[in-house]
Amino acid sequence: MWSKGREIAAGDTVILWLTRDALQPLVIEPGKEFNSKFGSYRHADLVGIPFGSKVGSRTGNGFIHVLRPTPELWTMALPHRTQILYLADIAFITSYLNIKNGSQVVEAGKHILTGPFLGTGSGSFSHSVMRSIGTSGHLWSYEFHETRANKARFEFHRHGISDRVTLTHRNVCKDGFTVTDTADALFLDLPAPWDAIEHAKKALRKDRIARICCFSPCIEQVLRTVSALNDSGFTDITMYETLLRPYDIQQTSSLPTIGEISDKLKQSEIRREEKRLKQIASGHRGGSDSTSPAKGNGQKNVSASAGGKRAKTEEEDIIDVESQVIEDSQNFLTKDVSMDGGLLLVKAEEVLDDGNLKMEKPPLAQPMKINLSKVMPEVRGHTSYLTFACLLPPLPTIGVVEDESLEQV
Amino acid sequence: MLNLPKIQPGHNVLVRQPNGDVRSIKVDRDSIVTVGRLGSFYANELIGQPYGFSYEMVNKQLKILPVRTLEEVEDTDATNELINDGEFVQPLTLDEIQTLKQSGVHASEIIKRQIEQHANYSLKTEYSKDKYKKRKEAKYSKSFITIEPTMHNVCDYWFNKDQNRIRDIRPDTLSQMLAMANVLPGGRYLAVDDASGLVAAAILERMGGSGTLLTVCDTDSPPAYPVVANMNFPTEMVQSVLKSLNWATSEQHYVSVHAPVEIPADEIRSDRQKTRLRKRKVAHELLENTREELFAGEFEALMVASQYEPSGIIDRLVPYLAGSASIVVHSPHSQPLVDLQNKLRNAPGFLGPSLTEGWLRKYQVLPGRTHPTMNSSGSGGYILHVIKVYDDPTASSVIISRSKKPKTDTEQTLDSSEATPPSLRPSSP
Repeated sequence: MWSKGREIAAGDTVILWLTRDALQPLVIEPGKEFNSKFGSYRHADLVGIPFGSKVGSRTGNGFIHVLRPTPELWTMALPHRTQILYLADIAFITSYLNIKNGSQVVEAGKHILTGPFLGTGSGSFSHSVMRSIGTSGHLWSYEFHETRANKARFEFHRHGISDRVTLTHRNVCKDGFTVTDTADALFLDLPAPWDAIEHAKKALRKDRIARICCFSPCIEQVLRTVSALNDSGFTDITMYETLLRPYDIQQTSSLPTIGEISDKLKQSEIRREEKRLKQIASGHRGGSDSTSPAKGNGQKNVSASAGGKRAKTEEEDIIDVESQVIEDSQNFLTKDVSMDGGLLLVKAEEVLDDGNLKMEKPPLAQPMKINLSKVMPEVRGHTSYLTFACLLPPLPTIGVVEDESLEQV
Repeated sequence: MLNLPKIQPGHNVLVRQPNGDVRSIKVDRDSIVTVGRLGSFYANELIGQPYGFSYEMVNKQLKILPVRTLEEVEDTDATNELINDGEFVQPLTLDEIQTLKQSGVHASEIIKRQIEQHANYSLKTEYSKDKYKKRKEAKYSKSFITIEPTMHNVCDYWFNKDQNRIRDIRPDTLSQMLAMANVLPGGRYLAVDDASGLVAAAILERMGGSGTLLTVCDTDSPPAYPVVANMNFPTEMVQSVLKSLNWATSEQHYVSVHAPVEIPADEIRSDRQKTRLRKRKVAHELLENTREELFAGEFEALMVASQYEPSGIIDRLVPYLAGSASIVVHSPHSQPLVDLQNKLRNAPGFLGPSLTEGWLRKYQVLPGRTHPTMNSSGSGGYILHVIKVYDDPTASSVIISRSKKPKTDTEQTLDSSEATPPSLRPSSP
């Protein structure tokens, strides 16, 4: 089913990576063809190539990557709205319940094993458990819906994993489990897990610590579950939330400096002023005989400069003054910007000897690149509350001290 | 038997003291174990016990305490406004308490006397009473609880004790690394573990004695990995699975300085020399076998928790990974992984690099007092995950050919500072 071979074979399940957001599980059946906007691919063409290969389309320029399935890729391939258990939850539960080679695991609930086999999109946790427990472990799975249970049982048999998984159609809250004193780890994904706690206690083993996890989206469920766990004698009751925060990374040129912008603003101011003066000058020349400074638009003037000197008019005085201001501004550009306050953050070595900041150089030099990261704008805010508890073996009757401190104060 | 449920001689046992602190004690047969300033007991008392019980130390013997569940506390009408805590004075002086302790009075007796003399005690709400009692119990009780050495518990212990030594890898981020790398029994994995062996221990636990874990470290001799000691693995579970090289011996062109020389039998002068030569031969063979194991490639995942520059590590080891293998790199800081992600995105042969941060919130669950814990961990570090792929659709061989001469710098490298360029990307025949 999930091959361990190096090359892809007929009947293998693969995961096609089209884009990061478009992963497609596929069972290789020679004769069939996979079509997408990335091209057309014959299943037969995929047989014999190594997992992890990039494959070009027969038609057109598209390509895909053909990957070996893992529980993580599987959760990425599922439609997100059906995903309740995410990688962070699956990983944390597996670790906290100490599920590993040889573990005996019991589970009941909606999001269990049946999913990947029936294409319903759930069951990543069970799938992950099943692969983690190895050949000496066992998983007992309890499915509430009869038709789903029968179908899944058939699929397990077909894929040759029946020796590792036992699927039972049952309402565990009403009728309990089918094993006693067996499980190292028990996982409940039920709307009312408190109804199953006493039954769970029977299924868990009594010769060493056993652990339970109840998976509930609502805090009210947690409170009732905790109460039930406490009443049934479970210890070390804790509850966790766990989430993954994914980051977006982009490469960009170094952040622009205020020195650069300051220059641009001054340049733009100067240009605007020059333009204004030009307009005034051309307007003035056109009306050199008139006394009104406002007149003169479009009038062709017999240039006063054609001959001799003429007395400066008031406007020309103003123009001269303003030209001087522009000249002064341009001179100011080249002065050390640091004069007005001293450099605190901009490094000293970035200031050249003649007082110009390096950033004022023309943009012909190679721009520096920086990597910026931030958490993605839309993140998962909640999956479920994970309530954990331990069941200790019964205390030996010899050697138990009377607990005097429990006396009422 | 992989699932050893009982405490064995020689085990390193984690115990939780009444004040919440966890410490590690060594339980050697016929020894006396000291638990900090709480007291001591005969180690043999603990051998053979299952994990999880609470014990009281009485005359160096252990008495099992009954299991304490959450106590339902009835709320009363009393409120904290009626209590002037500023005026509260500890009625028993320090001298009086010391005298009581030395006279061997039981902890609960000391607490009882304090409670009796505590002004305004009856006015405190039941919750406050509970807190007060627990605080006092913490101070005077000579008891502890044993903690099973699961990867979660051991990681938690190290994280609280000294998270720098495990590079800020928190139980949730550790579990995510294992999930992303898809660590399973019987698998073949590469790891670079500069986190005191935390990552190696986690992989070993999942594999349960089946499969191969090859680590590359920065020391001469086999790496210390103190976290592995805390797990109390059976020796054969580790020895059959764990192999190590360092950054020199993992190079293809490395030649051992200590290569044994065959000396003709008639020139061997003593038995001691014979033994010495034999030992060198065995060590050399082990090294060569391990190198061959690495160069055979097809490892299913690479996990990295290291202070060294990650792109160099990946360049060196990616040729030995199978197609579709996961590379999982953890760092306490985001910046090195941000830069790495950028390099991977622009390099061929790497698919879908993604950077994530683990967020974990623990809740206190007590009747009427359920809320997130007041103190919390700020960070469990960051993880970068990427998949190795073959760019060449006709790639058919991953048998790495051992070349005698150094390759020229024709291949694109992630790490521009690498002296010897990676020359071992699979290419079409």
